[in-house]
Amino acid sequence: MRPHEWRRELPATLEAVEQFCAEFQGWRAETCAGLNAFAAELLLREALNNSVIHGCLGDARKRVSCSLRARPDRLVIAVRDEGQGFDWRSLWNRRGDPAEIHGRGIEILRRYANLVRFNRAGNSVTLIKRFEAKSI
Amino acid sequence: MNDNTVFQSAAVPPAASAVAKADGDLVAARLSGLRATLTEMVKSGILHLTLDLADVRLIDSTGIGLLVAAHNSLHRAGGDFTVIHASKDILELFHSMRIHQHFTVSGD
Repeated sequence: MRPHEWRRELPATLEAVEQFCAEFQGWRAETCAGLNAFAAELLLREALNNSVIHGCLGDARKRVSCSLRARPDRLVIAVRDEGQGFDWRSLWNRRGDPAEIHGRGIEILRRYANLVRFNRAGNSVTLIKRFEAKSI
Repeated sequence: MNDNTVFQSAAVPPAASAVAKADGDLVAARLSGLRATLTEMVKSGILHLTLDLADVRLIDSTGIGLLVAAHNSLHRAGGDFTVIHASKDILELFHSMRIHQHFTVSGD
């Protein structure tokens, strides 16, 4: 049985995100099987990609920390990076133009998570995804 | 880790049409192969491109951006871009992001 709390520090690379997300699905299946696999991985990827691409600007010397906590009815994802953060407030209510290539990350977080909370600087985000617990 | 690769089927009439199949998830770390293939197809004069997502489990915002870029390039050239065989989860994502208003998407 895997622990219900899992912390991992990653180098700020997309390859590290890819590997972590593959491991995540195994952990999710054991700790919160009632959680939609697509939605959970999408949220995790968007949070991590945001840290790697925008927070750390792809600098592999920087680190991204991720904490996952499985509760009976929710998953809590916390991601923090060593970047300077960004002005998430200016993007919070943005509805991306369908013709735009970029700018969908925060909208995806808002649509798929039940709660999204950035810190003041914008280099840390906490997501809560609720789900119906599966009875044994 | 392999980049997402694309298998291009034989072009179907008219000659400027093609169907491609994505092999694997369309996520930030795995897009370089698909990006290169789509770029090459547009440069080669393909105007009507269909992308088959039957083997795609997940697509993230960067992957959506790549599909929109392909659509934009084809549209500017007078062509169109279509996605077929998207899973229920991916269709819901496209709808929530209003992608279906931009190019044609269909499910399994």
